[in-house]
Amino acid sequence: MSLYILSKEQLGEFVEKLQAKFRVVGPVRTEYGYAFDDITKPEQLELNYSTTILPPKKYFLPQREVLFEFESETDDKGLRSYEVRPIFQEVEPTVIFGVHTCDMHGITLYDRVFAEGYRDEHYVERRENTYIIGMECLTPCDDASFCKDMGTLSAPQVYDLHMTPMNDHYMVDTGTERGEKLLLDHVYVEMARKEDIQQLGQVLSSKWPRFKMRLKVTRDQTPSLLTLGYKAKLWEELGEKCLACGSCTNVCPTCFCFDVQDEMDINMTDGERSRVWDSCQLREFALVAGGHNFRDTKASRVRHRVMRKGKYIKQVHGITGCVGCGRCERACLVNITIPGTINNLHDEMHPEPEKA
Amino acid sequence: MTKPKIAFFDFTSCEGCQLTVVDLLQTHLGLLDLVEIVQFREAMTEKGEDYQIAFIEGSCTRESDEERLYKIREQADLVVALGACAHLGGVNAMKNRWSIENVQTYVYGENGKDNYESYGARPISAVIKVDAAIPGCPIDRFEFLKIVQMVLQGRTPKLPDYPLCVECKLKENGCLNTMGKPCLGPITRAGCNAICPTYGDGCEACRGFAPEANFEYMREILRGHGLSEEDIDARFSMFNHYQLMQMGEDAPLSKPIVEPDAPLPTSTFAAPQEN
Repeated sequence: MSLYILSKEQLGEFVEKLQAKFRVVGPVRTEYGYAFDDITKPEQLELNYSTTILPPKKYFLPQREVLFEFESETDDKGLRSYEVRPIFQEVEPTVIFGVHTCDMHGITLYDRVFAEGYRDEHYVERRENTYIIGMECLTPCDDASFCKDMGTLSAPQVYDLHMTPMNDHYMVDTGTERGEKLLLDHVYVEMARKEDIQQLGQVLSSKWPRFKMRLKVTRDQTPSLLTLGYKAKLWEELGEKCLACGSCTNVCPTCFCFDVQDEMDINMTDGERSRVWDSCQLREFALVAGGHNFRDTKASRVRHRVMRKGKYIKQVHGITGCVGCGRCERACLVNITIPGTINNLHDEMHPEPEKA
Repeated sequence: MTKPKIAFFDFTSCEGCQLTVVDLLQTHLGLLDLVEIVQFREAMTEKGEDYQIAFIEGSCTRESDEERLYKIREQADLVVALGACAHLGGVNAMKNRWSIENVQTYVYGENGKDNYESYGARPISAVIKVDAAIPGCPIDRFEFLKIVQMVLQGRTPKLPDYPLCVECKLKENGCLNTMGKPCLGPITRAGCNAICPTYGDGCEACRGFAPEANFEYMREILRGHGLSEEDIDARFSMFNHYQLMQMGEDAPLSKPIVEPDAPLPTSTFAAPQEN
């Protein structure tokens, strides 16, 4: 929409003004790196961060979220009736700073899953009360990143504001009307001039060579490679290594599966139903009543995850299920990676012709 | 509704799990509206014998303890193992590495084996049928409450069957294994909300192994910390010696777990030798 100039000196003032009305969150330093967390003082905000363990999805689909409370009554005949009260945990209007482009692509997918078609009111409530301030990536987070392969190096249209770091200022793009209002109401900014926009163009185009391609196939070729490689030996190898710890899915910005659990109050008549993050990598995920497990082996679960990321999600939601953020690779203690898996699968399916 | 009567018993243990229950009662007095405690040596003087649910802390380390266990089993409709010692054998089972005579002499002195009865430590499930277990050293008070509630609803208590890593990730803890601290989280059953790693200590598997524990790659990770094979064996067997013994030749260890005449450790904590 419109481009504004926010000087780096004014960032603190902008954050402080926002804090009067909003919960402000963003990347902060931790003992192991960075995490999205509440900002109490503007100087905590580390916009020049690399990556976090959990993506900002936790603000839209919390690790544990109460859906409703119930009360039960037992009548004279011993019949139990329930009264159910939906719970919308009050979502404080929130501003998230520093969302990288890959994570915004993750939110794009979340919107398709939770807000289009069947509207998940709990998700929509959080989404509508949360402003997303994106952060343009000018260098890769680290060697685990493969955003360029996954086409997530540019911001999708989910941001309210999007910042690109320049020498002494940020170029701020407004993605929504409410985003523009958020900016103009809380800090003094100037409209970008023609030369600023030219400078931005240079910064954006010069960033591309800094990002490496890691996949031997394009993301458009991945679905057919996965179809071809459904019965590959590779899955058994990966299954041997896999710890079945679910870390890869828990840290993934596109994984959205959850389990629904009921918890009773100590009085044993009332309780609440909540949803908690679940993982297809865990044994119980595909276990059904009667004891059958549709994905009993770790090999079948590792394959399922890669199939979801590279093929199934695209078939259902029209977007590739992996955004190339590299979080699963960083979290995996046995070095199972998406690029490694895709490349090894490619090699197994397309062996190099032996040289004569 | 008549309240089910419950009783607590202790065998070889530190009684820390029962202490956790006492502690829970300070904040969740409502538990007493659900059950009637008729025997609980750590908290009351009365000793009722008409209980329906028995919670047993501690491992069985003497043949003469078996009789008491049979009696409890006979009386109780449900027997619940309380904590790592009862559930797994726990740290008590570390002594099973040596012959019992050597251990008796080491601990009680020259005439130890004549004066003090002992045998290989074992979980109570090795002696009597156990209906449910509440893992941990000590137990997690909220898991205890949850399992009591499940039992009262007539449901089979269910423990998480995935590794601890799940809970660390949900809390966004930094991974100790990537920060240079050995942690057995990847092979350990979750349910404690990753309490030790949350405070910076590597997991020691007090809740027992996860059903799909990948020992081979866990060992590889621990080697990456510079740990010797022997040290890795010791970490695997700290709380799970009995389980590894049961695995026989399949035990994921670098050498046999039972070495009757291996040198006993020199420790300043050993009891003084009798004169």
